[in-house]
Amino acid sequence: MFEKRDEQLIEQALKGSKKAWFALIKRYETGIYQYGIRMTGTPHDAADLMQDIFIAVFKSLSNFRGDGSFKAWLYRIAHFRCIEFYRRKRPDTPLDDSEELSCERPTPEHSLMSDITSQSLTNAMQRLPLTQRAVIELKFFGQFTFEEIADQLGLSSNTVKSRLYSALSKLKLDLEVEHG
Amino acid sequence: MVNQSPEYLFGQWLDNALTEDERSAFEALCVSDADFAARVATATQLNVAAEQFSPPPMPAWDKNATFIAPDKPKWWQWQGLPAVSMAMSAAAMVMVLSGFSVQVEDGRVTMGFGQSVSSGPTEAEVAALVADRINDYQQANQAMFTQYVNALQQQQQESSTQLAQYLLKSSRQERREDFAELVQFINQQRDDDQRYYARQLTHLQREINAIDDGYTAVTE
Repeated sequence: MFEKRDEQLIEQALKGSKKAWFALIKRYETGIYQYGIRMTGTPHDAADLMQDIFIAVFKSLSNFRGDGSFKAWLYRIAHFRCIEFYRRKRPDTPLDDSEELSCERPTPEHSLMSDITSQSLTNAMQRLPLTQRAVIELKFFGQFTFEEIADQLGLSSNTVKSRLYSALSKLKLDLEVEHG
Repeated sequence: MVNQSPEYLFGQWLDNALTEDERSAFEALCVSDADFAARVATATQLNVAAEQFSPPPMPAWDKNATFIAPDKPKWWQWQGLPAVSMAMSAAAMVMVLSGFSVQVEDGRVTMGFGQSVSSGPTEAEVAALVADRINDYQQANQAMFTQYVNALQQQQQESSTQLAQYLLKSSRQERREDFAELVQFINQQRDDDQRYYARQLTHLQREINAIDDGYTAVTE
């Protein structure tokens, strides 16, 4: 069977087709859920964030012009919702590269992760500042180019590369700690 | 000139966009800079981890909550309405400027632009047609009037005959009634006369009897 393109599903969803919208969700929910896991560190928060993201996407669906890929647009919204998620969680914390935005230690829910490496990686990512975590997430898990990441985060390409470079140094140490 | 910046080379490597010269510089940096090499190793490790990442199973979540049925636009909010309106206006202007006309005649609708298109009869033909129609109308009227006069005359004759018969009949009856009255009068007169004569005779008889009685008495 030929799969419908994202644009076709969006068009149908905008006309009120719930089936098309669910098909679009099905196409991206796993990626967004995993994004949520790595960005929040807990399945529960990941599920909440995922719902927030898809609600926001549906509300903004008519604004999608099709200039870029839907996936890039979706992850841009996901990033904003993730920032909002942390803002709600810690209203007084500035959203910069400070360590305040990172999780201090892994939660018990991490043990739900089936794979030890995945669990270690998720734990290590939680120690990164949100902005660095977002760059790592989008580059290695989202498979976006630096230009696309820069566009999504509203940064320059060089800033994104710089943040990634810094994040990798920190992540290496954290992974070593995880593996003990 | 090759950009020797570690961040740049690292980025190019991640995007798989290293040129030959950049690749040489990148490899040299990996050998000479342990920190850089460690980052490359971490990136490679992350790529593998990303491929093998196994998150917890997808929870059952409320997808319906994300779907907000859009309001159906009202008919007056139809986006094509301005375009249709514009087209109608343009069509109306064209119709006015080009002298568009619609004629309905004998159940036929004829549409045309300008005066030339109206392929109707000329004025002479119209005049002849009107004259024919008037002539026909006059003849029809004449025939109808003749017929009406005839009918009126016939009705008049019938009425006269009926009146004459009625008069005759009524005068005959009146005369008969008059005669009957006369006969009755005469009969009545005769009865009265008879009664009168009878009374006279009776009276006379009484007088004769009285005379007779008197004479008898005298004679006796």
